[in-house]
Amino acid sequence: MPDSTLESFERIVVPLLDDAYTLARYLMRDEHDAQDVVQEAYLRAWRHYGGFHGGDARPWLLAIVRNCCHSWRRTSRPRQTVEYVDEEHGSAESGQRATDADAIAASDRAELRVALDQLLPEYREAIVLREIEGLTYKEIANVTGAPIGTVMSRLARARRRLQEALGFGAQEAS
Amino acid sequence: MNCAPTRELLSAYIDGELPPDQATEIAEHLASCAACSRDYEAMLATVRTLREGLVRFHAPDLLRARVRTALREEQETAASTPTVRRGSRVAWRTVAAAMVIAVASSGVTLLATGGGRRAAPESASEEVLASHIRSLMPDHLTDVRSSDQHNVKPWFNGRLDFSPAVPRLEDQGFPLLGGRIDYVRERPVAVVVYGRRQHIINAFSWPADGRDEPVQPQEARHGYNMLRWRSGGVEHWVTSDLNAAELRQFVGLLQSAR
Repeated sequence: MPDSTLESFERIVVPLLDDAYTLARYLMRDEHDAQDVVQEAYLRAWRHYGGFHGGDARPWLLAIVRNCCHSWRRTSRPRQTVEYVDEEHGSAESGQRATDADAIAASDRAELRVALDQLLPEYREAIVLREIEGLTYKEIANVTGAPIGTVMSRLARARRRLQEALGFGAQEAS
Repeated sequence: MNCAPTRELLSAYIDGELPPDQATEIAEHLASCAACSRDYEAMLATVRTLREGLVRFHAPDLLRARVRTALREEQETAASTPTVRRGSRVAWRTVAAAMVIAVASSGVTLLATGGGRRAAPESASEEVLASHIRSLMPDHLTDVRSSDQHNVKPWFNGRLDFSPAVPRLEDQGFPLLGGRIDYVRERPVAVVVYGRRQHIINAFSWPADGRDEPVQPQEARHGYNMLRWRSGGVEHWVTSDLNAAELRQFVGLLQSAR
């Protein structure tokens, strides 16, 4: 019987805040909307915590965040501004992660971000869940409510688009 | 395996998401085809760039604090009174107080109660009823308040992935009061609100797969009548404290107005 107290929720789900916020940032493309959505998602997660039967809490939480992003966008007036990563002001996580990323120049990362933002939302979502959140196809299917085959083809197409945008040896006709 | 299917499966191959026999075929093809092998390298470089280059965000401390505070507040409210979902936004007035008594004395789970234990997932009828009761709180009934269907219907556009019917039924004694978006069955749903004398009628709808189903009265709970049906890929729930006969009449009007 899983423990569904607030203590358990704080131990298991609250530490996933960075994951939740990262997904929301990419889906909402606005810092403030992302924060509002994450807060809403956490309240919703807590209300439904009794229905969480153990296992990996991350895909479970990300599904809620994702749904909150979608309903938020449907019900709110979209903001006019689209914000890109501001490397100078350190909105990205600093520390050991930054060392990995140092190899890539900031301009390349901005380029990457622009390419990602130009993808269809369902492609972008698949890329974020796979490349950043590291979910399996099955988990992505659960989070997005799409069949695994669809997840597979979305990722394949999204990566092709990004490959072209980033100029990595175009796919030869076949 | 030849080139075309190989190219399509490279992405899943890189993720290790292919069945072993298919993965073996791809590996064999790559070993013998220079063009596909180059394409594989390019795809691999793309994936590597994405994984290394896409930023993981760090939740701001303020957000962390906001989440913790909201959870605490929610728990305290839940522990003291079985209350409704909008938590601290609820203004307790006479109407609301009456609702709380109704809810507290019922088996309806709007929120998990005491001890921090959460309730089992709610059924559709519980969620619809909870939404109905919540809508009766001050300032919760409508997001768009209008008796004009030409105001209410466009309001839903762009807010939902479908367009609810908003017929004019005023001449039959059911004036339109407005609309709102609520969240039922893990999705945003349209709620069109009508009146009947002093009664409020909430008409819920959302897209749903499956065959049409005739109007069925749901178990009346706590003085609220509820009817549901499904037609043309849309799930409908109507609930009110109006008597069953008049509510059934309302549903008949709603259906024939489509």
